[in-house]
Formats: sequence, C-alpha cells, structure tokens
Amino acid sequence: MNPIDDDTLQAYVDGELDASEAARIDAALAHDDVLARRVQQARALRAQLRAAFDPVLDEPVPQRLSALLQAPAAPAAAPFVRPASGHGTVRRRAPRRWFVTGAALAASVALLAVTLWWWRPGGELVRTQGGQSFAAGALEHALDHALASEPDAKAPVAIGLSFRSNDGRLCRTFVLRRAPARAGLACHGDAGWELPVLGAAAPVAGGELRQAASALSPEVQAAVDARLRGSVFDARQERAARDAGWR
Amino acid sequence: MNSSDAVREGLIPLLPRLRRLARALAGQVADADDLVQIVLERALARAAQWRPDAALDKWVFAIARNAWRDELRARGRAQHLFAPEEAGEMAADGTAQPAQRLELALALAALPPDHREVVALVLVEGMSYGEAAELLEVPVGTVTSRLARARASLQAQLGKDA
Repeated sequence: MNPIDDDTLQAYVDGELDASEAARIDAALAHDDVLARRVQQARALRAQLRAAFDPVLDEPVPQRLSALLQAPAAPAAAPFVRPASGHGTVRRRAPRRWFVTGAALAASVALLAVTLWWWRPGGELVRTQGGQSFAAGALEHALDHALASEPDAKAPVAIGLSFRSNDGRLCRTFVLRRAPARAGLACHGDAGWELPVLGAAAPVAGGELRQAASALSPEVQAAVDARLRGSVFDARQERAARDAGWR
Repeated sequence: MNSSDAVREGLIPLLPRLRRLARALAGQVADADDLVQIVLERALARAAQWRPDAALDKWVFAIARNAWRDELRARGRAQHLFAPEEAGEMAADGTAQPAQRLELALALAALPPDHREVVALVLVEGMSYGEAAELLEVPVGTVTSRLARARASLQAQLGKDA
C-alpha cells in the first residue's frame, strides 16, 4: 500500500478523492490512530469555519446592497438624486448612500412600466417582465402549490422534479397538459417563477402525455442537468420547500 | 432578456452567499459589505461580459476575489489586516464560543491573501479544488498546496483543540 501523504489526506477530507482512493483511506483509518486524528483535526477546522461563516447566509441583506439589484435606474430618476460634487471626502463607511434613494425611485418607475407591459403568450400562463418569461395564472398557481407526490390527473399543469439549482434558487420542471403541450423549467426568485426553458413537450402514442417527470424534453433535461446541485427533492423535501415559500 | 437584467436578477438569490464569501475574505462585517457593494457595481457594469452558459455564481465570485485583491492593494498591506481589538466585530454574530470565534478571526487575518482566498473558496464556499483553481487561474496543484499550508497555519494558530 502506498503511504498516505498530507495532500491525499486533505483531499480525502474535502471529498476530492474518487471512490477507490477514498476506500483506501477509510481502510487505513480503521487501524491508524495518528491518521484518524489528523483527519479529525482537518474536519474540525472545516466545521469551525462553516460554523463561523454560515450564519451570514441567514442574516438579512442590508438594504443598500439589495437596492443595487432592483430594476435598472430610469434615466429620468438620476437628476433628483445626484450627489453634490466637490463636497469634501465621502466617508468610506457610507459609500454612495444617495444611490439607495435613486434605486428605490427607479424601481417604482420600472415597476409601473412593467405593470403596463404585460403580455400573455400561451393563454395567460406566461407573462414577461424585463424581457424574461415568468409563470402566470394556473401555471404559477401549480408551481406555488402543487406537489409531484400528490399528482392530480385533471390539473392543467403536471409538476415533475423539484430541486435546488446551483445558483441557490429552487427550480421545478413542469408539463402543460392542454394543447399546445409544453414542457419547461421554472426557477423561483423574488419576481416569481422565472421560466428559463419552455418548449414543446413530446406527446406519446394515444395523445396522452407521459408522467410529468418522464415527459421532459431533452431541452428541459439539459437545463436541469446544468443547474442541478445534489439530488432532486424527495416528497418530504418538496413539501418542506413549498411550505417555506420556495425560498 | 438582456444580459444586464439576467445578471441583476440572477444576483439577487446569490447575495447571501456573496456576503458569506466577502466576510471570509474581508473579515469585518462593514468591510465585507463594502466589498459586496463594489462587486455588485462591477458585476452590473460588466454584465455584457457574462455568458449565459457560464455559472453566474462562479463569475461573480471571481469578481469578488479580484475586487478584494484590488482593495488590499489600494489600502496597503499594513492596513488591510485589521487591528486585533477590531477582530471581535467578526465574532459578534456567532454561534460558536466567542473566544473561539475571535481566535479564528485572528488566525484567518494572519494568513497571506493567497492562502486566505483558497480557504474562503474551498472551505467556506465549498468549491471543489478544480473550481477554485479555475477561478484563481492557477493549477489545481497550487490550490492543493496553498490549502494545505493554510490549514497548517490555522491549526497551529488555533492550537491544541483544533
């Protein structure tokens, strides 16, 4: 057996080894207390770092940061909030605070524009906002509430897989049962269910769609594969995600 | 959807992870959020450079790492490491023992930037070695060796109980 060097041991702790290499370390750990202690130390450090920084994920995001990501500043809003120039040094702790007001103002202007600019391809199931498609009507309702673990054969929308995307959002696949049958992927964000993929679903012989999960078009399947981190939700995780509002 | 809308909307769900990464890089809460602000402004300004087939999180984390390096350069080596009495700020939100948090903050602050960033990307954000190597534009072996040295320094600083 090859000796186990520090880099290999570290890779083991960080989940970087393939199965056979990891099995070799597992076997060595069972009868090598020194090695086992080194692994335990490395794991403890990792856990300590997670314990120190993971709570940041649950902190409320400061308004000055989330405001930067609101709808783009409308040109008309800028003159009202331009800061006085030549006004001495801006303190570092309060950088560009004026921007928050500007962004909030711009956001309300943009919201008005969006509200006035709605359209409904596919019969009120899709709306667009900022050039992006979002679920609406019965599709939005199904994505919000329906569970794949409790299928309803008469519902206009069949839900397939639910999972957490690699950008942190919760995503669900779906099939629209009524003609024209379409399959898609929806990912939940602050603006609702965004639809990065919406395409034709392949009906099987007899005109009936297969089970939602198996009726995924290759396009949807590829989109899922590109986003999937970990595994798709089981029934319990799906329900928990729904009850948490798909956050 | 144009790329700036895609980036802007895509960044919203990434904000918590971006703040965590910034905290791991910059240490103090206020510095970290200033860094996040700079990152968001840069990401929005460069939205046209983001290719939709690239993962937005990796793209913006790379911006964060580069912005942090820029900040370090701008502020000077001597200044970027916060004074020991300030390190307590980082421990303010903790679940761990305050003393342990302070110790960890000091140990992280003592790491050179090369080491600190691999700790932030791999051990805090949870990237693979390959992903971190790509982001940092260094070979995987470099990530591995920096991480090993960073671990050794942290464990030495944190001492007996780590």
